[in-house]
Amino acid sequence: MRRVAAALRGLATLVIPRAVEAVVVVWLVATVVFLAMRLLPGDPAVLVLGEQADAAALARLRVRLHLDEPLYMQYARFLRGLATLDLGESLRRPGVTAARRVGDAFVPTAALGGIAVALAAVGGVGLALLSEGPWLGARRRWVDRVVTAVAGVPLLSFAPLLTYALAAKLRIVALPGDPDAGLSGLFFASGLLAVPLGAQLARLGRAALADVGRAQFLTVARAKGRGPAAVWILHALPVAGGPILTVIATQLGALLGGAVVLERLFERAGLGSLVLEAYASRDLPVLEAAVIASAALFVLTQTAASILHAAFDPRVRA
Amino acid sequence: MSPVSGRLLRLVPLAILVIASTIVRATSGASPSRLVPERAFAAPGRAHWLGCGEGGIDLATFLAHAELGSLALAGVVSVLALVVGAPLGAGAALARGLPERVIGRACDLLQAFPSFLLAVTVLSTVRAPTRVHLGVVFMLTAWVPFARLALAETRVLRGAAFIEAAKALGLGPPAILFRHVLPHVARVSAVQLGASGAALVVGEAALAFVGFGTGDGVSVGALLDMGVLSMLRAPHVLAIASVSVFVTSVSLMTAGRALSRD
Repeated sequence: MRRVAAALRGLATLVIPRAVEAVVVVWLVATVVFLAMRLLPGDPAVLVLGEQADAAALARLRVRLHLDEPLYMQYARFLRGLATLDLGESLRRPGVTAARRVGDAFVPTAALGGIAVALAAVGGVGLALLSEGPWLGARRRWVDRVVTAVAGVPLLSFAPLLTYALAAKLRIVALPGDPDAGLSGLFFASGLLAVPLGAQLARLGRAALADVGRAQFLTVARAKGRGPAAVWILHALPVAGGPILTVIATQLGALLGGAVVLERLFERAGLGSLVLEAYASRDLPVLEAAVIASAALFVLTQTAASILHAAFDPRVRA
Repeated sequence: MSPVSGRLLRLVPLAILVIASTIVRATSGASPSRLVPERAFAAPGRAHWLGCGEGGIDLATFLAHAELGSLALAGVVSVLALVVGAPLGAGAALARGLPERVIGRACDLLQAFPSFLLAVTVLSTVRAPTRVHLGVVFMLTAWVPFARLALAETRVLRGAAFIEAAKALGLGPPAILFRHVLPHVARVSAVQLGASGAALVVGEAALAFVGFGTGDGVSVGALLDMGVLSMLRAPHVLAIASVSVFVTSVSLMTAGRALSRD
Protein backbone atom coordinates (compact mmCIF):
# COMPACT_ATOMS: atom_id res chain seq x y z
CA MET A 1 0.00 0.00 0.00
CA ARG A 2 2.75 2.39 0.99
CA ARG A 3 4.62 1.55 -2.18
CA VAL A 4 1.59 2.40 -4.31
CA ALA A 5 1.24 5.74 -2.54
CA ALA A 6 4.93 6.50 -3.11
CA ALA A 7 4.63 5.61 -6.80
CA LEU A 8 1.58 7.84 -7.15
CA ARG A 9 3.40 10.68 -5.42
CA GLY A 10 6.34 10.17 -7.79
CA LEU A 11 4.01 10.28 -10.78
CA ALA A 12 2.36 13.46 -9.48
CA THR A 13 5.66 15.30 -9.03
CA LEU A 14 6.53 14.20 -12.56
CA VAL A 15 3.30 15.22 -14.23
CA ILE A 16 1.79 18.16 -12.33
CA PRO A 17 4.50 20.85 -12.75
CA ARG A 18 4.83 20.03 -16.44
CA ALA A 19 1.07 20.01 -16.97
CA VAL A 20 0.72 23.38 -15.23
CA GLU A 21 3.46 24.82 -17.40
CA ALA A 22 1.79 23.44 -20.54
CA VAL A 23 -1.54 25.05 -19.60
CA VAL A 24 0.20 28.39 -18.92
CA VAL A 25 1.97 28.26 -22.29
CA VAL A 26 -1.23 27.47 -24.20
CA TRP A 27 -3.00 30.31 -22.38
CA LEU A 28 -0.12 32.70 -23.25
CA VAL A 29 -0.20 31.69 -26.91
CA ALA A 30 -3.98 32.04 -27.06
CA THR A 31 -3.75 35.49 -25.47
CA VAL A 32 -1.09 36.58 -27.96
CA VAL A 33 -3.32 35.39 -30.82
CA PHE A 34 -6.31 37.20 -29.30
CA LEU A 35 -4.39 40.45 -28.87
CA ALA A 36 -2.69 40.26 -32.28
CA MET A 37 -6.03 40.04 -34.05
CA ARG A 38 -7.48 42.97 -32.09
CA LEU A 39 -4.66 45.33 -31.17
CA LEU A 40 -2.37 45.28 -34.22
CA PRO A 41 -3.21 48.02 -36.72
CA GLY A 42 -5.82 46.96 -39.24
CA ASP A 43 -9.56 46.60 -38.61
CA PRO A 44 -10.51 42.89 -38.69
CA ALA A 45 -13.91 43.73 -40.18
CA VAL A 46 -12.26 45.61 -43.06
CA LEU A 47 -9.80 42.73 -43.52
CA VAL A 48 -12.69 40.28 -43.89
CA LEU A 49 -15.04 42.36 -46.07
CA GLY A 50 -12.56 44.51 -47.97
CA GLU A 51 -12.11 48.25 -48.10
CA GLN A 52 -15.10 48.89 -50.37
CA ALA A 53 -17.59 47.28 -47.98
CA ASP A 54 -20.44 49.55 -46.86
CA ALA A 55 -20.64 50.79 -43.28
CA ALA A 56 -23.77 48.80 -42.39
CA ALA A 57 -22.22 45.47 -43.39
CA LEU A 58 -19.03 46.32 -41.48
CA ALA A 59 -21.09 47.17 -38.40
CA ARG A 60 -23.05 43.90 -38.68
CA LEU A 61 -19.81 41.89 -38.88
CA ARG A 62 -18.36 43.77 -35.90
CA VAL A 63 -21.42 42.82 -33.85
CA ARG A 64 -21.16 39.21 -35.04
CA LEU A 65 -17.50 38.98 -34.05
CA HIS A 66 -18.26 40.95 -30.83
CA LEU A 67 -15.71 43.58 -31.89
CA ASP A 68 -18.09 46.32 -30.69
CA GLU A 69 -17.68 45.24 -27.05
CA PRO A 70 -14.93 46.57 -24.77
CA LEU A 71 -11.70 44.58 -24.95
CA TYR A 72 -12.04 42.97 -21.49
CA MET A 73 -15.50 41.68 -22.37
CA GLN A 74 -14.15 40.23 -25.61
CA TYR A 75 -11.33 38.61 -23.67
CA ALA A 76 -13.73 37.07 -21.12
CA ARG A 77 -15.86 35.70 -23.97
CA PHE A 78 -12.71 34.41 -25.67
CA LEU A 79 -11.48 32.62 -22.52
CA ARG A 80 -14.91 31.05 -21.99
CA GLY A 81 -14.88 29.90 -25.62
CA LEU A 82 -11.40 28.50 -25.14
CA ALA A 83 -12.47 26.50 -22.07
CA THR A 84 -15.57 25.13 -23.80
CA LEU A 85 -13.76 24.60 -27.14
CA ASP A 86 -16.18 26.95 -28.87
CA LEU A 87 -14.50 29.86 -30.65
CA GLY A 88 -17.49 30.76 -32.78
CA GLU A 89 -18.82 29.92 -36.18
CA SER A 90 -16.86 29.82 -39.42
CA LEU A 91 -17.45 33.02 -41.43
CA ARG A 92 -17.11 31.25 -44.77
CA ARG A 93 -19.13 28.15 -43.96
CA PRO A 94 -22.06 29.38 -41.89
CA GLY A 95 -23.48 26.71 -39.62
CA VAL A 96 -20.15 24.95 -39.06
CA THR A 97 -18.26 25.81 -35.87
CA ALA A 98 -14.58 26.69 -36.09
CA ALA A 99 -13.78 23.90 -33.62
CA ARG A 100 -15.50 21.36 -35.87
CA ARG A 101 -13.47 22.42 -38.91
CA VAL A 102 -10.25 22.23 -36.91
CA GLY A 103 -11.19 18.78 -35.59
CA ASP A 104 -11.83 17.53 -39.14
CA ALA A 105 -8.51 18.89 -40.37
CA PHE A 106 -6.60 17.49 -37.43
CA VAL A 107 -6.81 13.80 -38.39
CA PRO A 108 -4.94 13.88 -41.75
CA THR A 109 -2.17 16.08 -40.31
CA ALA A 110 -1.78 13.85 -37.27
CA ALA A 111 -1.52 10.80 -39.57
CA LEU A 112 1.08 12.56 -41.74
CA GLY A 113 3.13 13.74 -38.76
CA GLY A 114 2.79 10.52 -36.76
CA ILE A 115 3.97 8.28 -39.58
CA ALA A 116 6.79 10.72 -40.36
CA VAL A 117 8.01 10.63 -36.74
CA ALA A 118 7.85 6.82 -36.70
CA LEU A 119 9.76 6.50 -40.00
CA ALA A 120 12.33 9.09 -38.90
CA ALA A 121 12.84 7.41 -35.53
CA VAL A 122 13.43 3.98 -37.06
CA GLY A 123 15.62 5.31 -39.89
CA GLY A 124 17.52 7.83 -37.79
CA VAL A 125 18.27 5.44 -34.93
CA GLY A 126 19.25 2.73 -37.41
CA LEU A 127 21.68 5.07 -39.17
CA ALA A 128 23.07 6.27 -35.82
CA LEU A 129 23.72 2.64 -34.81
CA LEU A 130 25.35 1.91 -38.18
CA SER A 131 27.65 4.92 -37.98
CA GLU A 132 28.70 4.27 -34.38
CA GLY A 133 28.57 0.46 -34.12
CA PRO A 134 31.28 -1.91 -35.39
CA TRP A 135 29.33 -3.46 -38.29
CA LEU A 136 30.52 -1.33 -41.22
CA GLY A 137 34.18 -0.97 -40.19
CA ALA A 138 35.90 1.99 -41.84
CA ARG A 139 32.99 2.53 -44.20
CA ARG A 140 30.82 3.82 -41.35
CA ARG A 141 32.31 7.28 -41.82
CA TRP A 142 30.46 7.42 -45.14
CA VAL A 143 27.15 6.97 -43.36
CA ASP A 144 27.99 10.01 -41.30
CA ARG A 145 28.99 12.08 -44.34
CA VAL A 146 25.84 11.22 -46.27
CA VAL A 147 23.67 12.00 -43.23
CA THR A 148 25.39 15.37 -42.73
CA ALA A 149 24.90 16.21 -46.42
CA VAL A 150 21.21 15.23 -46.35
CA ALA A 151 20.63 17.25 -43.15
CA GLY A 152 21.83 20.34 -45.06
CA VAL A 153 19.23 20.04 -47.84
CA PRO A 154 16.01 21.94 -47.09
CA LEU A 155 12.73 20.01 -47.48
CA LEU A 156 11.53 22.85 -49.68
CA SER A 157 14.16 22.13 -52.32
CA PHE A 158 14.04 18.33 -52.47
CA ALA A 159 10.35 17.52 -51.86
CA PRO A 160 8.98 19.09 -55.09
CA LEU A 161 11.85 17.69 -57.17
CA LEU A 162 11.45 14.15 -55.77
CA THR A 163 7.70 14.38 -56.34
CA TYR A 164 8.30 15.37 -59.95
CA ALA A 165 10.84 12.59 -60.49
CA LEU A 166 9.12 9.72 -58.62
CA ALA A 167 5.42 10.52 -58.95
CA ALA A 168 5.03 12.53 -62.15
CA LYS A 169 7.85 11.27 -64.37
CA LEU A 170 8.69 7.70 -63.32
CA ARG A 171 5.29 6.99 -61.75
CA ILE A 172 6.84 4.76 -59.07
CA VAL A 173 4.64 6.23 -56.35
CA ALA A 174 1.16 7.72 -56.45
CA LEU A 175 0.73 11.47 -56.10
CA PRO A 176 -0.28 11.99 -52.46
CA GLY A 177 -2.89 14.56 -53.46
CA ASP A 178 -4.65 12.01 -55.68
CA PRO A 179 -7.83 10.83 -53.91
CA ASP A 180 -7.15 7.26 -55.14
CA ALA A 181 -3.58 7.27 -53.82
CA GLY A 182 -4.68 6.16 -50.34
CA LEU A 183 -2.04 4.69 -48.09
CA SER A 184 0.87 4.69 -50.54
CA GLY A 185 0.38 8.43 -51.08
CA LEU A 186 0.29 9.02 -47.34
CA PHE A 187 3.47 7.01 -46.84
CA PHE A 188 5.26 8.86 -49.65
CA ALA A 189 4.36 12.23 -48.13
CA SER A 190 5.33 11.05 -44.63
CA GLY A 191 8.58 9.66 -46.01
CA LEU A 192 9.48 13.07 -47.47
CA LEU A 193 8.66 14.74 -44.16
CA ALA A 194 10.71 12.12 -42.29
CA VAL A 195 13.95 12.80 -44.21
CA PRO A 196 15.10 16.02 -42.45
CA LEU A 197 13.96 14.76 -39.03
CA GLY A 198 15.63 11.39 -39.61
CA ALA A 199 18.90 13.06 -40.62
CA GLN A 200 18.85 15.23 -37.47
CA LEU A 201 18.08 12.17 -35.34
CA ALA A 202 20.89 10.19 -36.95
CA ARG A 203 23.41 12.96 -36.25
CA LEU A 204 22.39 13.59 -32.64
CA GLY A 205 21.74 9.91 -32.00
CA ARG A 206 25.26 9.17 -33.15
CA ALA A 207 26.68 11.82 -30.80
CA ALA A 208 24.60 10.42 -27.93
CA LEU A 209 25.72 6.85 -28.70
CA ALA A 210 29.35 7.96 -28.91
CA ASP A 211 28.92 9.48 -25.45
CA VAL A 212 27.42 6.32 -24.02
CA GLY A 213 29.92 4.15 -25.90
CA ARG A 214 32.73 5.16 -23.55
CA ALA A 215 30.74 4.25 -20.41
CA GLN A 216 32.02 1.51 -18.13
CA PHE A 217 28.84 -0.50 -18.07
CA LEU A 218 29.32 -1.26 -21.77
CA THR A 219 32.80 -2.61 -21.05
CA VAL A 220 31.21 -4.81 -18.38
CA ALA A 221 28.59 -6.02 -20.86
CA ARG A 222 31.31 -6.83 -23.39
CA ALA A 223 33.37 -8.60 -20.71
CA LYS A 224 30.35 -10.76 -19.93
CA GLY A 225 30.61 -11.96 -23.51
CA ARG A 226 27.68 -10.15 -25.11
CA GLY A 227 27.89 -9.59 -28.84
CA PRO A 228 28.01 -6.10 -30.42
CA ALA A 229 24.30 -6.19 -31.35
CA ALA A 230 23.25 -6.81 -27.75
CA VAL A 231 25.74 -4.29 -26.38
CA TRP A 232 24.62 -1.48 -28.67
CA ILE A 233 20.92 -2.16 -28.97
CA LEU A 234 20.05 -3.53 -25.51
CA HIS A 235 22.54 -1.63 -23.37
CA ALA A 236 23.59 1.59 -25.12
CA LEU A 237 20.43 2.56 -27.02
CA PRO A 238 18.04 2.89 -24.02
CA VAL A 239 20.49 5.28 -22.33
CA ALA A 240 20.76 7.37 -25.50
CA GLY A 241 16.95 7.34 -25.79
CA GLY A 242 16.49 10.51 -23.73
CA PRO A 243 18.46 12.82 -26.04
CA ILE A 244 16.78 11.19 -29.06
CA LEU A 245 13.34 11.90 -27.57
CA THR A 246 14.40 15.49 -26.87
CA VAL A 247 15.47 15.95 -30.49
CA ILE A 248 12.08 14.73 -31.71
CA ALA A 249 10.35 17.14 -29.32
CA THR A 250 12.42 20.15 -30.41
CA GLN A 251 11.88 19.31 -34.09
CA LEU A 252 8.09 19.20 -33.78
CA GLY A 253 7.75 22.86 -34.74
CA ALA A 254 9.82 22.31 -37.88
CA LEU A 255 7.77 19.18 -38.55
CA LEU A 256 4.55 21.21 -38.50
CA GLY A 257 6.11 23.75 -40.88
CA GLY A 258 7.11 20.90 -43.17
CA ALA A 259 3.60 19.44 -43.01
CA VAL A 260 2.18 22.79 -44.14
CA VAL A 261 4.56 22.87 -47.13
CA LEU A 262 3.68 19.28 -48.07
CA GLU A 263 -0.07 19.81 -47.67
CA ARG A 264 0.23 22.75 -50.01
CA LEU A 265 2.44 20.80 -52.43
CA PHE A 266 0.05 17.85 -52.61
CA GLU A 267 -3.13 19.81 -51.96
CA ARG A 268 -3.92 17.45 -49.10
CA ALA A 269 -6.51 18.36 -46.49
CA GLY A 270 -5.11 19.08 -43.03
CA LEU A 271 -4.39 21.69 -40.40
CA GLY A 272 -1.92 23.46 -42.69
CA SER A 273 -4.33 23.73 -45.60
CA LEU A 274 -7.06 24.85 -43.21
CA VAL A 275 -4.83 27.66 -41.86
CA LEU A 276 -3.91 28.69 -45.42
CA GLU A 277 -7.53 28.65 -46.55
CA ALA A 278 -8.69 30.57 -43.47
CA TYR A 279 -5.90 33.10 -44.03
CA ALA A 280 -6.71 33.56 -47.70
CA SER A 281 -10.45 34.01 -47.05
CA ARG A 282 -9.90 35.88 -43.74
CA ASP A 283 -12.07 33.42 -41.81
CA LEU A 284 -10.91 34.84 -38.47
CA PRO A 285 -12.68 32.44 -36.04
CA VAL A 286 -11.31 29.42 -37.92
CA LEU A 287 -7.86 30.97 -38.17
CA GLU A 288 -7.84 31.68 -34.41
CA ALA A 289 -9.04 28.19 -33.55
CA ALA A 290 -6.59 26.49 -35.93
CA VAL A 291 -3.56 28.44 -34.70
CA ILE A 292 -4.42 27.87 -31.02
CA ALA A 293 -5.18 24.18 -31.62
CA SER A 294 -1.87 23.64 -33.44
CA ALA A 295 -0.01 25.41 -30.65
CA ALA A 296 -1.83 23.32 -28.03
CA LEU A 297 -1.04 20.14 -29.93
CA PHE A 298 2.59 21.15 -30.10
CA VAL A 299 2.80 21.98 -26.37
CA LEU A 300 0.99 18.76 -25.47
CA THR A 301 3.40 16.52 -27.40
CA GLN A 302 6.39 18.40 -26.00
CA THR A 303 5.07 17.96 -22.47
CA ALA A 304 4.41 14.27 -23.10
CA ALA A 305 7.98 13.86 -24.39
CA SER A 306 9.37 15.64 -21.34
CA ILE A 307 7.32 13.43 -18.94
CA LEU A 308 8.38 10.27 -20.80
CA HIS A 309 12.00 11.36 -20.71
CA ALA A 310 11.85 11.95 -16.96
CA ALA A 311 10.00 8.66 -16.40
CA PHE A 312 12.65 6.68 -18.27
CA ASP A 313 15.74 8.52 -17.11
CA PRO A 314 16.02 9.12 -13.35
CA ARG A 315 18.92 11.56 -13.97
CA VAL A 316 16.54 14.12 -15.52
CA ARG A 317 14.23 14.18 -12.50
CA ALA A 318 16.80 15.64 -10.11
CA MET B 1 47.17 27.62 -47.72
CA SER B 2 47.10 29.96 -44.75
CA PRO B 3 44.12 29.55 -42.44
CA VAL B 4 42.89 33.09 -43.12
CA SER B 5 42.72 32.73 -46.91
CA GLY B 6 41.15 29.28 -46.41
CA ARG B 7 38.45 30.91 -44.37
CA LEU B 8 37.96 33.71 -46.91
CA LEU B 9 37.45 31.07 -49.62
CA ARG B 10 34.23 30.11 -47.84
CA LEU B 11 32.81 33.52 -48.75
CA VAL B 12 33.27 32.84 -52.48
CA PRO B 13 29.96 31.02 -53.21
CA LEU B 14 27.91 33.75 -51.54
CA ALA B 15 29.92 36.47 -53.28
CA ILE B 16 29.38 34.84 -56.68
CA LEU B 17 25.65 34.60 -55.97
CA VAL B 18 25.37 38.26 -54.99
CA ILE B 19 27.53 39.55 -57.86
CA ALA B 20 25.77 37.42 -60.50
CA SER B 21 22.32 38.49 -59.26
CA THR B 22 23.37 42.15 -59.20
CA ILE B 23 24.75 41.97 -62.76
CA VAL B 24 21.64 40.23 -64.12
CA ARG B 25 19.41 42.70 -62.31
CA ALA B 26 21.35 45.70 -63.59
CA THR B 27 21.65 44.53 -67.21
CA SER B 28 18.12 43.23 -67.72
CA GLY B 29 16.51 46.56 -66.99
CA ALA B 30 13.00 45.13 -67.29
CA SER B 31 10.65 44.52 -64.36
CA PRO B 32 11.00 40.98 -62.97
CA SER B 33 7.35 40.21 -63.59
CA ARG B 34 7.03 41.68 -67.10
CA LEU B 35 4.64 39.46 -69.04
CA VAL B 36 5.30 38.37 -72.64
CA PRO B 37 2.58 35.74 -73.18
CA GLU B 38 3.90 34.38 -76.48
CA ARG B 39 7.07 33.04 -74.85
CA ALA B 40 5.30 31.44 -71.83
CA PHE B 41 7.20 28.45 -70.42
CA ALA B 42 9.89 28.71 -73.12
CA ALA B 43 12.77 26.32 -72.45
CA PRO B 44 16.21 27.74 -71.60
CA GLY B 45 17.90 29.13 -74.71
CA ARG B 46 20.23 31.83 -75.98
CA ALA B 47 17.90 34.80 -75.48
CA HIS B 48 16.63 33.62 -72.07
CA TRP B 49 19.33 31.44 -70.62
CA LEU B 50 17.19 30.17 -67.74
CA GLY B 51 14.08 30.01 -69.89
CA CYS B 52 10.73 31.62 -69.19
CA GLY B 53 7.92 30.95 -66.74
CA GLU B 54 4.19 31.51 -66.56
CA GLY B 55 3.07 34.41 -68.73
CA GLY B 56 6.54 34.56 -70.28
CA ILE B 57 8.42 36.15 -67.36
CA ASP B 58 12.18 35.89 -67.82
CA LEU B 59 13.34 33.47 -65.11
CA ALA B 60 16.89 34.85 -64.85
CA THR B 61 15.62 38.38 -64.14
CA PHE B 62 12.95 37.14 -61.75
CA LEU B 63 15.44 34.96 -59.88
CA ALA B 64 18.00 37.77 -59.62
CA HIS B 65 15.43 40.10 -58.04
CA ALA B 66 14.12 37.36 -55.75
CA GLU B 67 17.63 36.30 -54.64
CA LEU B 68 18.73 39.85 -53.83
CA GLY B 69 15.48 40.51 -51.96
CA SER B 70 15.70 37.39 -49.85
CA LEU B 71 19.46 37.76 -49.18
CA ALA B 72 18.90 41.36 -48.08
CA LEU B 73 16.08 40.27 -45.77
CA ALA B 74 18.14 37.40 -44.34
CA GLY B 75 21.18 39.65 -43.88
CA VAL B 76 19.34 42.46 -42.14
CA VAL B 77 17.30 40.15 -39.90
CA SER B 78 20.21 37.94 -38.84
CA VAL B 79 22.46 40.93 -38.04
CA LEU B 80 19.62 42.58 -36.07
CA ALA B 81 19.02 39.26 -34.31
CA LEU B 82 22.69 39.17 -33.31
CA VAL B 83 22.54 42.77 -32.07
CA VAL B 84 19.40 42.07 -30.01
CA GLY B 85 20.00 38.47 -28.97
CA ALA B 86 23.63 38.55 -27.83
CA PRO B 87 23.26 41.41 -25.28
CA LEU B 88 19.98 39.92 -24.06
CA GLY B 89 21.48 36.49 -23.41
CA ALA B 90 24.73 37.87 -21.98
CA GLY B 91 22.88 40.37 -19.79
CA ALA B 92 20.57 37.66 -18.45
CA ALA B 93 23.51 35.42 -17.58
CA LEU B 94 25.31 38.31 -15.83
CA ALA B 95 22.18 39.19 -13.83
CA ARG B 96 21.69 35.52 -12.79
CA GLY B 97 18.56 34.54 -10.87
CA LEU B 98 15.13 35.26 -12.31
CA PRO B 99 16.19 37.06 -15.54
CA GLU B 100 18.49 34.16 -16.41
CA ARG B 101 15.72 31.61 -15.85
CA VAL B 102 13.10 33.62 -17.75
CA ILE B 103 15.29 34.25 -20.80
CA GLY B 104 16.50 30.64 -20.80
CA ARG B 105 12.98 29.24 -20.68
CA ALA B 106 11.74 31.72 -23.31
CA CYS B 107 14.56 30.56 -25.60
CA ASP B 108 13.65 26.89 -25.06
CA LEU B 109 10.06 27.56 -25.91
CA LEU B 110 10.51 29.88 -28.89
CA GLN B 111 13.22 27.77 -30.47
CA ALA B 112 10.96 24.74 -30.69
CA PHE B 113 7.73 26.67 -31.33
CA PRO B 114 6.29 26.34 -34.84
CA SER B 115 7.42 29.64 -36.39
CA PHE B 116 4.82 29.15 -39.10
CA LEU B 117 2.05 29.74 -36.54
CA LEU B 118 3.67 32.96 -35.34
CA ALA B 119 3.96 34.11 -38.94
CA VAL B 120 0.29 33.39 -39.64
CA THR B 121 -0.82 35.22 -36.50
CA VAL B 122 1.09 38.37 -37.36
CA LEU B 123 0.58 38.33 -41.15
CA SER B 124 -3.17 37.74 -40.88
CA THR B 125 -3.53 41.28 -39.52
CA VAL B 126 -2.22 42.94 -42.69
CA ARG B 127 -3.77 42.84 -46.13
CA ALA B 128 -0.65 42.66 -48.31
CA PRO B 129 2.54 41.82 -46.40
CA THR B 130 5.72 43.69 -47.34
CA ARG B 131 9.32 42.64 -46.71
CA VAL B 132 9.25 44.75 -43.54
CA HIS B 133 6.33 42.69 -42.19
CA LEU B 134 8.19 39.49 -43.00
CA GLY B 135 11.27 40.87 -41.25
CA VAL B 136 9.23 41.60 -38.11
CA VAL B 137 7.80 38.07 -38.18
CA PHE B 138 11.25 36.51 -38.52
CA MET B 139 12.70 38.73 -35.78
CA LEU B 140 10.21 37.20 -33.30
CA THR B 141 12.26 34.01 -33.27
CA ALA B 142 15.56 34.89 -35.00
CA TRP B 143 17.16 36.38 -31.86
CA VAL B 144 16.77 33.10 -29.94
CA PRO B 145 19.82 31.13 -31.10
CA PHE B 146 22.06 34.17 -30.54
CA ALA B 147 20.68 34.72 -27.04
CA ARG B 148 21.14 31.05 -26.25
CA LEU B 149 24.77 31.03 -27.35
CA ALA B 150 25.47 34.26 -25.46
CA LEU B 151 23.78 32.85 -22.35
CA ALA B 152 25.90 29.70 -22.41
CA GLU B 153 29.12 31.57 -23.16
CA THR B 154 28.54 34.19 -20.44
CA ARG B 155 27.84 31.49 -17.84
CA VAL B 156 31.44 30.39 -18.41
CA LEU B 157 32.86 33.93 -18.61
CA ARG B 158 31.13 35.45 -15.58
CA GLY B 159 33.43 33.65 -13.16
CA ALA B 160 36.59 34.66 -15.05
CA ALA B 161 39.28 36.72 -13.31
CA PHE B 162 39.02 39.71 -15.65
CA ILE B 163 35.30 40.08 -14.91
CA GLU B 164 36.03 39.94 -11.18
CA ALA B 165 38.75 42.56 -11.72
CA ALA B 166 36.35 44.83 -13.60
CA LYS B 167 33.85 44.50 -10.75
CA ALA B 168 36.55 45.24 -8.19
CA LEU B 169 37.49 48.38 -10.13
CA GLY B 170 33.94 49.59 -9.60
CA LEU B 171 32.48 49.12 -13.08
CA GLY B 172 28.70 48.86 -13.21
CA PRO B 173 26.85 45.97 -14.90
CA PRO B 174 26.26 47.83 -18.22
CA ALA B 175 29.95 48.68 -18.55
CA ILE B 176 30.96 45.10 -17.75
CA LEU B 177 28.42 43.79 -20.25
CA PHE B 178 29.36 46.05 -23.14
CA ARG B 179 33.10 46.46 -22.59
CA HIS B 180 34.16 43.09 -21.24
CA VAL B 181 31.61 40.38 -21.94
CA LEU B 182 30.12 41.24 -25.34
CA PRO B 183 33.43 41.47 -27.25
CA HIS B 184 34.03 37.82 -26.29
CA VAL B 185 30.48 36.67 -26.81
CA ALA B 186 29.99 38.42 -30.16
CA ARG B 187 32.74 36.36 -31.76
CA VAL B 188 31.10 33.09 -30.72
CA SER B 189 27.58 34.23 -31.61
CA ALA B 190 28.64 35.53 -35.02
CA VAL B 191 29.31 31.96 -36.15
CA GLN B 192 25.56 31.45 -35.94
CA LEU B 193 24.98 34.20 -38.56
CA GLY B 194 25.39 31.84 -41.52
CA ALA B 195 23.05 29.14 -40.17
CA SER B 196 20.47 31.77 -39.23
CA GLY B 197 20.72 33.42 -42.64
CA ALA B 198 20.23 30.08 -44.38
CA ALA B 199 17.20 29.28 -42.22
CA LEU B 200 15.74 32.72 -43.01
CA VAL B 201 16.18 32.31 -46.76
CA VAL B 202 14.44 28.92 -46.64
CA GLY B 203 11.77 30.30 -44.30
CA GLU B 204 11.01 33.22 -46.63
CA ALA B 205 10.77 30.87 -49.61
CA ALA B 206 8.53 28.47 -47.66
CA LEU B 207 6.16 31.26 -46.63
CA ALA B 208 5.95 32.53 -50.22
CA PHE B 209 5.43 28.96 -51.46
CA VAL B 210 2.38 28.41 -49.26
CA GLY B 211 0.95 31.85 -50.08
CA PHE B 212 2.25 34.15 -47.32
CA GLY B 213 4.71 35.96 -49.54
CA THR B 214 5.12 39.67 -50.13
CA GLY B 215 2.50 41.51 -52.15
CA ASP B 216 4.73 41.89 -55.23
CA GLY B 217 5.17 38.08 -55.43
CA VAL B 218 8.88 38.30 -56.26
CA SER B 219 10.30 35.36 -54.30
CA VAL B 220 11.97 32.04 -54.96
CA GLY B 221 9.01 30.48 -53.13
CA ALA B 222 6.59 31.94 -55.67
CA LEU B 223 8.79 30.53 -58.44
CA LEU B 224 8.69 27.13 -56.73
CA ASP B 225 4.90 27.32 -56.59
CA MET B 226 4.81 28.14 -60.31
CA GLY B 227 7.17 25.22 -60.96
CA VAL B 228 4.97 22.77 -59.04
CA LEU B 229 1.83 23.87 -60.92
CA SER B 230 3.55 23.52 -64.31
CA MET B 231 5.85 20.60 -63.54
CA LEU B 232 4.64 18.44 -66.41
CA ARG B 233 4.63 21.22 -69.01
CA ALA B 234 7.84 23.02 -68.02
CA PRO B 235 9.99 21.05 -65.53
CA HIS B 236 12.84 23.58 -65.90
CA VAL B 237 10.96 26.09 -63.72
CA LEU B 238 10.74 23.63 -60.81
CA ALA B 239 14.37 22.55 -61.24
CA ILE B 240 15.66 26.15 -61.25
CA ALA B 241 13.61 27.11 -58.19
CA SER B 242 14.63 24.01 -56.18
CA VAL B 243 18.29 24.32 -57.04
CA SER B 244 18.37 28.01 -56.20
CA VAL B 245 16.84 27.44 -52.73
CA PHE B 246 19.48 24.79 -52.10
CA VAL B 247 22.41 26.81 -53.47
CA THR B 248 21.45 29.95 -51.53
CA SER B 249 21.04 28.05 -48.28
CA VAL B 250 24.33 26.17 -48.66
CA SER B 251 26.34 29.25 -49.68
CA LEU B 252 25.05 31.16 -46.64
CA MET B 253 25.96 28.28 -44.33
CA THR B 254 29.42 28.06 -45.91
CA ALA B 255 29.89 31.82 -45.61
CA GLY B 256 28.95 31.63 -41.94
CA ARG B 257 31.77 29.21 -41.35
CA ALA B 258 34.23 31.86 -42.58
CA LEU B 259 33.70 33.50 -39.19
CA SER B 260 34.55 30.39 -37.17
CA ARG B 261 38.02 29.84 -35.79
CA ASP B 262 38.74 26.37 -37.18
